[in-house]
Amino acid sequence: MIINKLTYYCLVVTLISCTINDNTRSYQLAKTNKPKTADKKQANISKPTDLIWEKPDPWVPSEGSPMRLASFSVAYSGGLGDLSVIKLAGAGGGLESNVNRWRRQLNLEPISLVEIEKNIIKKEGFLGPYSIKQIINEKMDSAFLCAIIPTGSYTIFVKLSLRPMGIIEVKDDFIAFCSSLNIPN
Amino acid sequence: MVIINSATKILKTPKLFVFIIIWMMILVVIGTLAQKDMGLFAVQKKYFSSWYFLIWNIPMPGGRLTMILMLINLSFFFFRKNLWKINKLGIIILHIGGILLFIGGGLTAMFSSEGNVVIDEGSDSNYVEDYHYMELAVINTSDNNFDTFTIFDHPLLKRNKILKHENIEFEIKIINYIENCEPIRRNTPAEVQYRGMMKNFMLNELIPLKEENMNRPGIIFHLSNARPLVDGIYGLFLGQSIPQKISSNDQEYIIVFRKKRTYLPFSIELIDFKKIMYPGTGIAKSYSSDINLIEKGISKRKLISMNEPLRYKGYTFYQSSFIESSNGETTVLAAVKNYGRLFPYISSIIMCVGLLIHLIMKLPGLLNKQKI
Repeated sequence: MIINKLTYYCLVVTLISCTINDNTRSYQLAKTNKPKTADKKQANISKPTDLIWEKPDPWVPSEGSPMRLASFSVAYSGGLGDLSVIKLAGAGGGLESNVNRWRRQLNLEPISLVEIEKNIIKKEGFLGPYSIKQIINEKMDSAFLCAIIPTGSYTIFVKLSLRPMGIIEVKDDFIAFCSSLNIPN
Repeated sequence: MVIINSATKILKTPKLFVFIIIWMMILVVIGTLAQKDMGLFAVQKKYFSSWYFLIWNIPMPGGRLTMILMLINLSFFFFRKNLWKINKLGIIILHIGGILLFIGGGLTAMFSSEGNVVIDEGSDSNYVEDYHYMELAVINTSDNNFDTFTIFDHPLLKRNKILKHENIEFEIKIINYIENCEPIRRNTPAEVQYRGMMKNFMLNELIPLKEENMNRPGIIFHLSNARPLVDGIYGLFLGQSIPQKISSNDQEYIIVFRKKRTYLPFSIELIDFKKIMYPGTGIAKSYSSDINLIEKGISKRKLISMNEPLRYKGYTFYQSSFIESSNGETTVLAAVKNYGRLFPYISSIIMCVGLLIHLIMKLPGLLNKQKI
């Protein structure tokens, strides 16, 4: 009888005390072959034929089309964004036609220049003042973060394609990148 | 002693089993109704994985307590007098099967883990990222050969918790853990105690979404005992592109707030990701990952497809999803480690055998009764 009772109590206590409390862990991992900081800085400063820039650390260069001066994969919590840098002669078609072209790519109706200019963000970079425009289609869960950087003889277009949720995360890096675009001496 | 005796009596009685079954049905109904507003994971945590939950401030037994009571009740069956007789063989086997089922459930609840393994084509990965739980990783990067990780798991990331470890010289006090947040740029300069990202941003608390994996958790903490210019209030959120770097007493640290990682004793290299679409549509018909399973330098080629998971060393890898980008294809594998995986099968067979034996033993008696 006593053995039976003892067994009951042991069983109850054991079952009720079943829990894991070890919530702190420590381990070591070998370093991956990352470039040294100096090399990394060098790698981040890209020099194509007639344009230089400073790439934000998390961005990874990717293969683009021949039209593109550069392409990057931009990681954010919702996936990977695709950033392209292209250069067109003169005004490259102007603000209205380019913004409406991007809007059409996102299945959005074209809007007037007045409406476009309402939501333009003005910034100043090495190449002078430039404009940033964000275009979002929530239904498609797609967005573009675009910069139009006039230089006089040509216009640089930077377009980042991503999900709307990622805009806030990458916006600062995007602005820093656009502002860093420059012509080498 | 009187209380213990009466508690034992209650726990022993077969009536308790009936009440527990009824309560479990009610629990399932409550959980199903609540799932509409709370989402699957929150309901699972509140009603089924908990010891108790409150309804209008009245504590009710949660799924875990209910299961344990049921297991205790079933176990008491074996301490009955005059049990070990041949005519009760079927019932004994049935109870053993039932107990095994509960033990399996307990193992799954305590030790199972599930998450994602995300691998780009041509690269490899050796860790699983948990679906639900977060961790705060303090990584000492001072050594040239290796990084030392000190991980504080999700249960520690609660308001006012102080995080300390022998590997780190400073201490972290959690000011706030936010289930869903949005980083917002400050309009006015931050106060002097704010450091890192918090100098320019603040974490705006949002209402947690029903779909738990759509939330972006964030954490605000106070770091002390490092250096006067390093001590202060920091903030991190999931998916932050630039991690928080700090230096303390000639040691370099990176602090990352990320999904809980479980490292695998092997790594998986994605050789090729294949996708077949339904003709003329953008809907995937099937997709598969051609992988190399690398362990101690030896690699084995395996294929994981939609209905053919890879089982290895207790882990099961299912083809879950994929990501396509200009950079190439990325596979998303669902990884599950479940120590109690086989228990439901084994216990079901045992219970069937028990019922069958019981039926066969009772059959002559039943037939005789019919004849009368």
